[in-house]
Order: sequence, then structure tokens, then C-alpha cells
Amino acid sequence: MLLLMESLVSKDLKVRYKRSIMGFAWFLLKPLFSMVVYYFVFTRILRFGGAIPHFPLFLLTGLLPWNFFSSSLTASTSSLLDNHRLIRSIYFPRMTLPAAVVAANLIHLLLALCVLEAVLLAFGRTPGLSILLVIPALLLFTMMTVGIGMLLAVGNVFYRDVKQFVEVLLLAWFYSSPIIYPLDSLGIDIVGSQRLLGILKWNPVSGFMEIMHSVMYAGVAPRAWCWLSLSIWSVVFLAAGAAVFRRMEPVVVKEL
Amino acid sequence: MERGRIVMEDVTLDYRLYHDRAVTLRETMLNVFNRKTTTEHFRALDGVNLLVEPGESLGLIGGNGAGKSTLLKILAGIYRPTSGRAETGGRIASLLDLGVGFHPDLTGEENLMLNGALLGLDRAGMKKLVPEIAEFAQLTRFMDIPVKYYSKGMFMRLGFSLATAVDPDVLLIDEVLAVGDASFQEKCYRRIWEFRERGKTIVFVSHDMKAVSRLCRRVVWLKDGKVVLDGEPGMMISEYLESSRRHAPETGTSPREWGTREVWFDSVTIRNGDGVPARTFRRGEKLVVDAVVKSRMPGPVEGVVFGFSIHRNDGETIIATNNLEMNQPLLRVDGSCRASMEIVLEPREPGTYLLGIALTDPVKSKDYHWRDYFYPVTILEERRDPPLLLSGAVWKQE
Repeated sequence: MLLLMESLVSKDLKVRYKRSIMGFAWFLLKPLFSMVVYYFVFTRILRFGGAIPHFPLFLLTGLLPWNFFSSSLTASTSSLLDNHRLIRSIYFPRMTLPAAVVAANLIHLLLALCVLEAVLLAFGRTPGLSILLVIPALLLFTMMTVGIGMLLAVGNVFYRDVKQFVEVLLLAWFYSSPIIYPLDSLGIDIVGSQRLLGILKWNPVSGFMEIMHSVMYAGVAPRAWCWLSLSIWSVVFLAAGAAVFRRMEPVVVKEL
Repeated sequence: MERGRIVMEDVTLDYRLYHDRAVTLRETMLNVFNRKTTTEHFRALDGVNLLVEPGESLGLIGGNGAGKSTLLKILAGIYRPTSGRAETGGRIASLLDLGVGFHPDLTGEENLMLNGALLGLDRAGMKKLVPEIAEFAQLTRFMDIPVKYYSKGMFMRLGFSLATAVDPDVLLIDEVLAVGDASFQEKCYRRIWEFRERGKTIVFVSHDMKAVSRLCRRVVWLKDGKVVLDGEPGMMISEYLESSRRHAPETGTSPREWGTREVWFDSVTIRNGDGVPARTFRRGEKLVVDAVVKSRMPGPVEGVVFGFSIHRNDGETIIATNNLEMNQPLLRVDGSCRASMEIVLEPREPGTYLLGIALTDPVKSKDYHWRDYFYPVTILEERRDPPLLLSGAVWKQE
């Protein structure tokens, strides 16, 4: 099973950058470009990121993991349909399909985070020991992504609307998550009310984004609620995703 | 579970069928809200019991939709039975669809490594097998080329070599042996034969009875998801072929009659040009269908279309037309009337044809009365005198 995952991931990575000039560099370029766009929009047009020092770096710390999250979900949504011939002609653990998609994206994220850390260092933001907390946080976040991905993959087999819906969902999700703004005192200016801020805290990705911002950008230990929220959501989504996938698998295969 | 053994106990498998009845956009919209799309369960396998001992070579025969491929997919572990128990012992190689796991952008070798993992082989084991697979597929020179540049035949050859290279205990084959050219096909058969000789279990689905009798020592005949017969190939195949011969004409071109019968053919006589009832006609002779048409509707029925069709013996339609299409007067039936149509045929090929007639109203989309394949009519070969005409002759001497 592990080997199968590894093979699927390496296939994904090989295939993705065939016949592209920039190749592997795209995993960095994409968030970089969106960072530039957001930076200009929010500091020059809307004028709200000005209060956050090194705003581009702040943006990148959130955008990189969000990029991982959204491209993982988009790809895993269609992962079963894309492989319908394969699924219908040999038996293998099908759970590996959405999982491998997430894993391939995770490799990109890890590389991107290393580059980001180098940039942060260059700007004099030396990380403390708390940087190690990225590892458990990423682990939990990946669990959550795999769980949601499995739910979407199964849903998309029955209703092709899921794929369209995911696009809209991700757009709404992006703006309601603390990616381009923080959830602390600085965020109040942007979000507007304390109450709304409290609601946004329980957004499933808020915990993780806050951890990333604290650990990588601010260099402080993340607050407890972040861990609580992230752990709960991760366990819930992974358990729900795996349970639904397992239960629906025999039906899905016939439905494809 | 012993390697190579197959056990199926009372296996049933249902598919869900969707009927989208929506014709218009409005209906489609209504369906979205009412969720009126009807689902229906289709039983592809119905209480199948099967025991295959290790080393047996079993052929599965039966018509289209009999459940052969579904059964194979259950054995491969792809489908889980809706009820019942199905188990296959040992490593399975399923040749249901060749080369499906191949990605067009990856090279032959990369694809083999990836697919090895799908088949459950570890990396080192696969690495060892690659040259062997490439050689069998006769593709050693092309292993570093993306498979999208392969011809269809090369692609299938690689697929077959891969699927059979993993040393399976059970080999499941679904009509995929039409791989590549004749010499490669022969090679495929030899390899499957070799598996048989080495005591591997083989389940082979095919419509090619010659291939089945060549390869299998036991044949199971499936029909409508049930096992009809199970036994020795020679007898089973002749029994099966006999039955398909018996059934084919019945389902194909047996006389059929249907309709609302609001207007109907009360009596029909087919006459020749001289007005004499007949079923055999000379070339170019007039064929007259004389009918008494009755209506049980109150008042006259206007605009009744009177049509006919002529089919070849195998059911193929040759001519089908009616008075509406030919710009002829439509029928008006008030209680009862006599109607006739005259057909003049110019047959290219003498023989027996099947004449069908119909009363319809396409405007109200009503089928009043259809009689399909109803009247066999024979067109005779005509003797022409003289049989040859001289159109020229030249003599020369140099």
C-alpha cells in the first residue's frame, strides 16, 4: 500500500511537469504570483495590509498552505472519475487515489515551505524552536485534507455538481479563513467585529493558518485554541472521510 | 483459502439503472425539483454458485448481458457481491482491459514500474521483470519512449505482457486476446497455455467458441445472470450454439403485432397483379395489399396513415414508407372501410422477404395497428430469354 502510494505520487510529480519550461519551479511561482497580486490589491488599492509588517511574507505563510489545500481538494474531487477505467479493471486499494493526490501536493508544500523559511531568515526573522511545531500541525492538516478529499471524491461520482461546487466553496472558504489577514488584534481592523472574529476561529482551517502564522512568521508559540480546533477538525474529517469512503466503495465502483 | 481456488456461493449483484425520462428542458427542470428520475435495480447475477479447483481452466459463455464480465469483475475483487460470498485464492492477474494503468506521458519503463505497484509487486521484483516484459512484448527498443507514441498494437502488447508477467495463481481473461498481429496472438495463446500446463487456474470469457474449446476443460454457460449449464466444453458449446440458432430468428423476425387497435386491420389479403391472392411474385409484378379497416371510435377517424415495410429475412429493413410520405391521400375510417395499396417492386435479389403493414397517426403520435414481419413474400427468379446478348466480337490476324 505504501509502495503503491509512493508510485502514484511519483507518477503525479513526473506527469505534472512534463513539457513545461518552468517545470518544478511552478510550485513556488504560483503562490509567489498570487502573493504579489494580493500585496498590491491590499496595500495599494484596498489599503489594509499596511499595519502588518513584512506583509508579503505574512501573505506567503498563509498562501502556501492554502494553495496545497485548495489544489489537493480540487484534484482529489476528480481522482476517482479520472481513473474509472483503472478502477473497473483491476483491484487495488482505491483509497490511495485521493490520498496520493494530497501526498503529491504535500511534497510541493514542504519544498515551498523550505524556500519560504530561507526568505524569512534573509529578512531577519530567525525562527525559534517553535518552528518544529510545523511538523505536527502539517500532519494534522494533511489528515484533514485527505478526509475532505475522500468525501468530495465519493460525492463527485454520484453528483458531478460537486466539482463545480468545490470551486465556489474554496473561494468562500479562502476569504473566511485567516490567510490574508490575522485573527489577532490587527485582524479586528480588517474583519470589523470581535464577534465575527470569534466565529471565524471555528473555521476548520483557521487553527492551522494561525499556527503557521505564529510559528513561521511571528516566531511565537501558537495559542491553545488553534491546536484544539485543528485536532478536532482533523480527526472528524479524516474519520468521516474514511468511513464514508469505505462504506460507499462497492457502490462507487459500480457507479463509475 | 487455497491458492488458485475460486468459490462463489449464492452470489447476487445488482446495478442501479437510471432512467432519465426528461425530454424537454421544462421536464428536466421539474425533475431536478421533484427528483423524479426513476432508479431501477438490474440484477446482473442471480444466485450464482461456482466452485473452481486450482488448475482448472474454465470458459464462461453466454449472450451479451448474461453477466459474464460482471462475474469476472467479482472474481477480480473489483465488484463486491450485493449478497452471497465470493472468494478467489492467491494472486490474481486480471486481463479485463489491457494497459489501463498506463499514463500516455510516461515511458514504457516508467509505466511498468508504476503498474507493478498497482499489481502489488515490490520495486526490486518489478525491476527484475522489466526486461522480460519488454522482450515478450517485442518492445525492448522502445522502453524509454512515452507510451503515447506507441501504436495501438504496441500498447496492447505491453499491457498483455505486464498483466501476465506477475506469475498469478488465477488468470482472469475477458475477450482481450485480440492483441496485436496474428503472430503475437499466437504468442499470447502459448503463454496462457503455459499457465494452464503449470497448473494455474484460468477463467476465460469469450464469444469465440473455437478459442474456448481450445483453452478450456470446463465450460459454464450463463444466461440472465444464472448458470444454465456447467460441464465439458464440446457438449456445452454445441448446446449453446444450437440454442442461439434456435432463438435468434424468433427474437429477430418473428411476426409481431401491436397497437391501440382504435383503428385496426380486420382482414388483409395480398394479391398479385391479376387480383388473385398470392405470396409469390414475378420480377416487376404488382403486389396489392387489400385490407378491410375498421374503427371502434365514435365518428370518423381522419388522417390515418397506411404504411408498409419490407425486411430481409434477417430483419434488416429495406423499404419502409406510407401514403403520407408518398403524398397520397390519407384514410378516413368511419366504422369500416376498404383500403388497398399497390406496390411495384424491382428486386435486385430474388428471395423471400417479410412484408409488414401499419396504421398510424403521426400527428397524434398514435400507433393504431402494426403487423411487423407478418407476410412472407417471395420474389421469383425470372428466366430471361435469351440469357445472353452479343454486344460485339472481333477477329484479328497479324
